Amino acid sequence: MATNSQELQNLVNYGLVKAHVAMGLVFFIIVATMGFLYSLQLDDIYPFVGIEFLSPGRVRMIHTAGAAYGFLVNMFTGLLYWAVPRFTGYRILSDKLGWFMFFALQAAVLITVIGVLFLGMADNVEWGETPWWLDPIIVFWLLLHLMQFGAPLFKASQRGPLYVAGWYISAMLVWTPLVVFMGNMIPRFWAVGSGAGAVQSTFIHDLVGLYVTPVAWGLMYYFVPVIMKKPMWSHGLSLLGFWGLAFFYPMNGVHHFLWSPIPMFAQYSAVFATVAVEFAVTSVLINFMMTLRGSAEQLKYNVPLRYMYTGAIFYWITCFQCAFHVTLTFQKVIHFTDWVTGHAHLIMFGTFGLWVLGMAEYIWPRLFRKETMYSKGLSEGAYWLLMIGVLSMFFDLTAGGLVQGFDWIGLNPWIDSVNFSKPFWYFRSIAGIMMITGLLMYALNFWKTATAKTGLSAELRTET
Amino acid sequence: MGKMERFAFVALVAGILFFLFADFISWALPMFVLKDIPKKSVEDLAAEAISRNSTAWSDFKKLARYYPETFKKFCQYEESFSGAKKIPESECKPNGKTLAKALRIGHRWYVAEGCWNCHSQMVRPVSNETLRFGIPGVSNTVSYPSEYNNELQAPVLWGTKRVGPDLIREAAVHNVGWQAAHLYNPKYTSPGTNMPPYPWYYTKDSKGNIVPNERGLSLLTYIMWLGSWEVKPPKDFRINVKASNSAKVKENTEKNFAEAK
Repeated sequence: MATNSQELQNLVNYGLVKAHVAMGLVFFIIVATMGFLYSLQLDDIYPFVGIEFLSPGRVRMIHTAGAAYGFLVNMFTGLLYWAVPRFTGYRILSDKLGWFMFFALQAAVLITVIGVLFLGMADNVEWGETPWWLDPIIVFWLLLHLMQFGAPLFKASQRGPLYVAGWYISAMLVWTPLVVFMGNMIPRFWAVGSGAGAVQSTFIHDLVGLYVTPVAWGLMYYFVPVIMKKPMWSHGLSLLGFWGLAFFYPMNGVHHFLWSPIPMFAQYSAVFATVAVEFAVTSVLINFMMTLRGSAEQLKYNVPLRYMYTGAIFYWITCFQCAFHVTLTFQKVIHFTDWVTGHAHLIMFGTFGLWVLGMAEYIWPRLFRKETMYSKGLSEGAYWLLMIGVLSMFFDLTAGGLVQGFDWIGLNPWIDSVNFSKPFWYFRSIAGIMMITGLLMYALNFWKTATAKTGLSAELRTET
Repeated sequence: MGKMERFAFVALVAGILFFLFADFISWALPMFVLKDIPKKSVEDLAAEAISRNSTAWSDFKKLARYYPETFKKFCQYEESFSGAKKIPESECKPNGKTLAKALRIGHRWYVAEGCWNCHSQMVRPVSNETLRFGIPGVSNTVSYPSEYNNELQAPVLWGTKRVGPDLIREAAVHNVGWQAAHLYNPKYTSPGTNMPPYPWYYTKDSKGNIVPNERGLSLLTYIMWLGSWEVKPPKDFRINVKASNSAKVKENTEKNFAEAK
């Protein structure tokens, strides 16, 4: 491992990290705004009524597909450009390929936005709303992604065992192209009906479980010990967590369509595998919490670390909740309700969103040779707004989901469930405003840090 | 343990083997179980609707009768994304070809508008859903695999969220006129709803009436097709009245007649 800072700078392509993270942040704000717009439709105060290309249904697809490809893929790729060379000690395969991939990714997202909003070319796979002819191109992009980051990981594993982060990222690099190919191509060209439903549910879950989760945990295993300057608590638990996740997570998908015409054995296996995943997740969480032991006071002043541990706790809440609501009994009530929406927001925004924001905040001043972010106030304010915003949205939607579920079972007129949900939907929009405000504060802090003329110093300043 | 921590081992065992094993259980095996159900193309669906004289067919004929100007334009309408081609004027009347074309275009815009974000297409056997979404005696069945084995359900449109009601039994619930008014502005028919209006599926005809345009007509055909296979044929089409029912039917007819008087 290189220790000299010049060597580290040669190792990491700073430009690629900056470009991906900045675009990821831009898309994060855009997709959050799209989600907020859609929530206004639920409140029945949508501002663009009767405009075809801003129809709420289309905006919602930009919210989901944009979150997947625009926000998460950009952010994670940027963070991988930073983390992978640094823990393997080898450069990525090619810088030129990196820039090509960067522009190709932005083009793919732009084409999706145009296709979905203006041309009506959406695909009815949730999270894969990209027009179907774009999907093979995305798979090809993911194969390039495999080579780009596979090269340093492969070289490093010639020399000795890989670090935990490397296992997660290696597996993710192989899984992602397979998952995107499976989820977008098979239900369109091969399977139909219930078979297609089984593939789609596997895709919905695998894009979270086999792309987002492993890459995020991989980065956590890199950033948390680096920030706290101490090793993970237990290597055995790291192994248990990784292999538990790798074995059980891919089998979870069908739990998105319980009580559906998919054969029951597939539904039961998904329920069992989901409950099993919670044990793996708990082992990972124990490992991280024990690593924190003795260093917890760092959470008071280290905002990136606080983002990471907040996200980790939200992750465990989500998974704990999942172990219960994945059962067929819970599904009777909560399927198709806002409960699921709350669950999805807590994991995507509360966990992965906060994690990438924390990681990006850790590397951003370092990318610009600054010692610290521009403003501590903005940094803290953004954290509290985002954290309180997403948590209140989660509680609100969970409660709203229960109201809807029991109302539907009660066979009341349909409009009742809409009216009963209104207060919850209003509150959710307010939580959305909090989250977007937090993101804008965060982005402002980023902008100011990047453009600050003087080197920002980490030492306490005495005002003159 | 050293071997387990190498790129090649992780990529092969976790990346490929575990993934294939999970896919085998999650969808390859279910697909194998369902493999004997025939897959229907859109043309098959149209032919089936006509041969069974289902409500999808009668509603399509109604649409052609209500909106003749739109229907003419609909025959000329072309779309590469859904594969809808021009239909010569000689064949421009409700038939298998035009019905299949309308279903294709309607399905494409149903997907493109994200209708499936708020409307599911699956009736579960729990939570009183068969009572809510079917009409007892007309259509109260739970969703079953074979009704999804067609080209319009690839990818399947079950959906994951309901803001509005389920639509897989919609043909039994509302008629064409209701749907046409509802899609133009949902508040006309469902006060208090938060469904957005879709005025771009409507145009003005030569008399200045607001009528569905080509895409609107197709979308209405598609919506009226949903669940039409579960709706029993109209009363005048029923030929055989079972002996056990005949007395009841007679009694009802007489009662209705007396009331009408």
